[in-house]
Amino acid sequence: MSYDDVEIEDMEWNVELQAYTYPCPCGDLFQITKDELRLGEEIARCPSCSLYITVVYNIEDFLGDSDQRNKKLEPPKQQPIAVA
Amino acid sequence: MTEQNEKGKEAIHEDEEEQPEVQKIWSWGAGTDGQLGTGRLEDEHLPQLLHFPSLASAGPIFLLACGGAHVIALTSGGRVMTWGRGASGQLGHGEMVNNLYPKAVTSLQNDFIIHVSAGWSHSGFVADSGCLFTCGDGSFGQLGHGDYKSHCSPVRVSFFANEHVEQIACGMRHSLVLLKGCHIYAFGSGKRGQLGISEGKIKSVSVPKVTQALEEVKIASIAANGDHSAALSFDGHLYTWGRGFGGTPDTHFPQCSSSSFLFTRAALGWNHALALTDGAQVFMLGGSHHGFLGDLEKIRPAKQLPDSREAILEKVLGLDGTKVLHIAAGAEHSAVGHLDDLLPKKLSKWSAHSQKNDLQDSEFRSTKQRKYQGRGSRQRLLGSISKSIPIAQYQLGEWPWLDEHTIGLVWLDNFDDTNSCLEFEAILKKT
Repeated sequence: MSYDDVEIEDMEWNVELQAYTYPCPCGDLFQITKDELRLGEEIARCPSCSLYITVVYNIEDFLGDSDQRNKKLEPPKQQPIAVA
Repeated sequence: MTEQNEKGKEAIHEDEEEQPEVQKIWSWGAGTDGQLGTGRLEDEHLPQLLHFPSLASAGPIFLLACGGAHVIALTSGGRVMTWGRGASGQLGHGEMVNNLYPKAVTSLQNDFIIHVSAGWSHSGFVADSGCLFTCGDGSFGQLGHGDYKSHCSPVRVSFFANEHVEQIACGMRHSLVLLKGCHIYAFGSGKRGQLGISEGKIKSVSVPKVTQALEEVKIASIAANGDHSAALSFDGHLYTWGRGFGGTPDTHFPQCSSSSFLFTRAALGWNHALALTDGAQVFMLGGSHHGFLGDLEKIRPAKQLPDSREAILEKVLGLDGTKVLHIAAGAEHSAVGHLDDLLPKKLSKWSAHSQKNDLQDSEFRSTKQRKYQGRGSRQRLLGSISKSIPIAQYQLGEWPWLDEHTIGLVWLDNFDDTNSCLEFEAILKKT
């Protein structure tokens, strides 16, 4: 059973984990990655215990985000090639 | 203030001369961020007796506060030590790293601290001068500095420069402050109404605002945990606001619980509240989805909609006939300290009544703590517990001065039977 329903805007982006996180009552963090969200995954799990939450979000927000990210990421990758 | 510190130290020495005091601390539960103070990054299913010279030299501990994964210890000399998770700066050591052992918060050494609170990832400290200091995660405004920055050293909250702060209560992403003169101020995340400052939806505020609807009430104490807030008035009324209990709607202003009982203490979890009456009985708001204390048959589905819009304070039946002295709540569990008879001088039983968790019964992560000071009828408990999933019930014989806590801290002082310690450990091993 899902511990709670949490809106994506109430989750925090954790740079270190590269995941959206939300406090778990066990002390660790519920986690879900952008890739998982893009695939429609709505369960964020806690790596330290068996609890999980249901993430409430709009998948379109992340599909668009994916395109933008790819565009942003591509130039830096190409640059070193150009230099070489 | 230095003078007061010195006076405090002297007072401790005098106490020690008059009445040798032994204080011990145990810890258990979740430990992957060093919050158990054992020096290991491991969970502990059984209480671990802690040995740390830094704590022993600091003097007796007066109050322990457990946060998401950190612990704040306040000594009777007004000094503060912290350990556990420090990634957001909540330990106040000037760096954002975990600490496996208790370490003094040196930047507070010129202040005599009288009250502390630990939130999910932030910390609050109140000095006897009425100054408030906060540190840790500030991304929801929960530090009260007028911005959303995090701080790794305690920073004085300038908003209260001309006020006398008495207490601080830190929740998951919000804070409550009780001023001398009884006003409550709130700051941080307010999405569930936990600030009590506006009827409309408030995402967050970083500048303290007065909690409404309590202006005429004389408040004795405040509590915060999860997205809940609570206050107890001097005349024994319990007020709660924030996230609804047991599936009831959120409340954006303090609501007085309709009960003919008078309450002396309140403790909040993430989905339940405990309240202790002046007649030593325990009542609970919400929290029934993991089972009622002492009645595990009575489990309600978490998502079941209640008949009433208002959560009802229900007496904890499993504690009938028990004289409860202290209550504590973790995120999803509860603990009480009680007498097994009506003779205050013979505190002979202590037990942790736990709520069974239907999802995690293979894991035991309990934390609670309490402290008795003095002897006999003068005994007093202090403490808090946080997160964790307990499953066991301990019955400890001849064990008056015990403390445990989620991430688990147990301590005792003034005990006159050294063998009790061994006995206690033996009992737990049998369990």
